[in-house]
Amino acid sequence: MIIKDVVSDLLLVLAVLIVLGASVGLLVMRDAYQKLHFVTPAALVAPALVALAILVQVGVYENTGETFLALLLMIIAGPFLSHATIRAIRVREKGDWRLEQSGQAPAGEKER
Amino acid sequence: MVMAFVTAAIAMLIAIVPAGIVLCRDELGASVVAYEFITSVVVMVLALLAQAFRRSGEFELAVLLAVLLFGSGLVFVRAMERWL
Repeated sequence: MIIKDVVSDLLLVLAVLIVLGASVGLLVMRDAYQKLHFVTPAALVAPALVALAILVQVGVYENTGETFLALLLMIIAGPFLSHATIRAIRVREKGDWRLEQSGQAPAGEKER
Repeated sequence: MVMAFVTAAIAMLIAIVPAGIVLCRDELGASVVAYEFITSVVVMVLALLAQAFRRSGEFELAVLLAVLLFGSGLVFVRAMERWL
């Protein structure tokens, strides 16, 4: 009983630290491209830890199943959303997301 | 044990504040990124609160928001790409 609580608490602490760190990263990074890197830990890693904490606490149960379902949906949505967001930001900035015919980046694009 | 889940939920809600600042003050692309971050965190908060107060029915909200995260995120990025 006590071990179960300790493991569950540790997983929750880890999830909270990841979310807090990602949140600070989101605030201090320069542009949207850099900020997007900090969404992934909060959208994929932390939910996995929360789901594990609930699994440890209540075992295999209806609540655990629904938490893992939400986790699965986030795992599916995360990469699609990140890709679509980056694409939209690039289209907004450059007018097109593709490289030019020569394989070079569009004119005027700065080297990072 | 209730306290651990509630405390985690509160800490995650506090973590939304910096993202909220980005959402309100940064340029549009960064705002959409912050919106996606906040939605992901709120999914976890809903699951944590449902577990903390032992309300099985409220896990539906977390699942529902996880579904809406995908749909609304795509709507926002498409609108940003085309019209905003």
